[in-house]
Amino acid sequence: MRQASPPVMDVSPAALLLCGTCLAAACVLALPFHLAAQTPPQPSQQIIIIKQMHFEPSTLKVKAGDRVEWKNEDIFSHTATANDGSFDSGLIAPGGSWQTTISKNGTIAYHCRPHPNMAAELVVAQPGGRTQHKVGGVSGEEGRISLAWSPPKRPEEIHPILVNFTAALLPLALLSDLLGRIFRRQGLHTSGLWMMVYEGAITPLTAIAGWWWRSSEADQLPAKLIMLHQWLGTAAALLFIVFAAWRWRFHRRALPPSWTYLVFVFVAMLGLIYQGSLGGAMVFGQ
Amino acid sequence: MKKIGSAILALSFTFVFGAMVSAQAPTDPQIVGIVQTANRIDIDQARLVLKKSTNPQVKEFANQMISDHTSLEKSVSDLANKLGAKEETSHTAKQLKQQAADESKKLNTLKGKDCDREYASHEVAFHQAVIDAATNTLIPNAKNAELKSALQGAAPLLQGHLQHAQQLQQSLQGAGSSSH
Repeated sequence: MRQASPPVMDVSPAALLLCGTCLAAACVLALPFHLAAQTPPQPSQQIIIIKQMHFEPSTLKVKAGDRVEWKNEDIFSHTATANDGSFDSGLIAPGGSWQTTISKNGTIAYHCRPHPNMAAELVVAQPGGRTQHKVGGVSGEEGRISLAWSPPKRPEEIHPILVNFTAALLPLALLSDLLGRIFRRQGLHTSGLWMMVYEGAITPLTAIAGWWWRSSEADQLPAKLIMLHQWLGTAAALLFIVFAAWRWRFHRRALPPSWTYLVFVFVAMLGLIYQGSLGGAMVFGQ
Repeated sequence: MKKIGSAILALSFTFVFGAMVSAQAPTDPQIVGIVQTANRIDIDQARLVLKKSTNPQVKEFANQMISDHTSLEKSVSDLANKLGAKEETSHTAKQLKQQAADESKKLNTLKGKDCDREYASHEVAFHQAVIDAATNTLIPNAKNAELKSALQGAAPLLQGHLQHAQQLQQSLQGAGSSSH
């Protein structure tokens, strides 16, 4: 009687499947981040109101390539004249407007020619927002890229790195457990367990780095977006700790995770995708 | 000589507006009258200079004075109608008119750069005097809150004109003299 072969083949397809799906999922997850980094943000239109002998706002932050429109709501004619001569609207009659595309980086002070006491400025950043900042050791200024590596130290470098782990671990934990249930493979369930535990451990760190970033740059970030992003992120960190504990309970009872657990994780994953889009909008523009 | 002339001019406006302080406090209709007289004086002198000057900077400034003071005159007139404060003449308004007539005569006798410089100096002195009068007399004495607020709102415009006039004056001084 021939002895049955050892169950080596039993593990290999599961391991292969796991590797394959991990790779595919990682690629899909990384795609939005990659595209956001590669696609230049669309230029936007910004409006400055001239009224009661003032430019409002007196300091406007724009990105190079944005169109800026001056609307004259005063009873007098005014001009928007750059001190360095890079633009001059000519007289804008009351009720009229004038617009131009801003191409120069840095701070452009401008004034009204007939009323030199009317002065204001445009603070122009490179498209992508952070001319002066280095992200992950890759610095970009005026299109020149330096690839010199330096360890991440600032929150704007650390948060995006940690975000990748948070974004990848949750769907992969879900996928592993889902496939584990479909193919009845314990190895996949073990992956699902540990990835959820890592998710519960790493996401609070991601959130802390996010809060740190927010505290150092709150005034430069869109108020409504950051408000939503910060609370969703904090809620996610707490929720994923709960998920990790929940998942651990199934493991302790030697049970596969319930469908209720899987549905909850799926809904949380949709929330996480939305959360990621908010973060992307702040870093790379709308 | 020019500086002395400007100083005398500034003093004379200060005297006229300053006299308002010692005289009885102006009523709201008188305040409207003084503001509108000052507006018209500036418009008339700009028109006069436009006919005589060939300097593009001076012409641009004069056109701006006509445009801005016409808008200001209309807004004051609309407000006065709304408030039922029909403009009234006063001793101050009469004195201003007399001085403006003298200045116009002077501008008429001058030609070229001399006329341009006289106009620029006059505009500096005139706007400075108007700002002082508005700050020290017209605004504190305005009874109606809307009128007071409108006068306060006009201050940045006058300040802007003063700075522009000073720039013009400096630029004309730097352009060399043709008076001899």
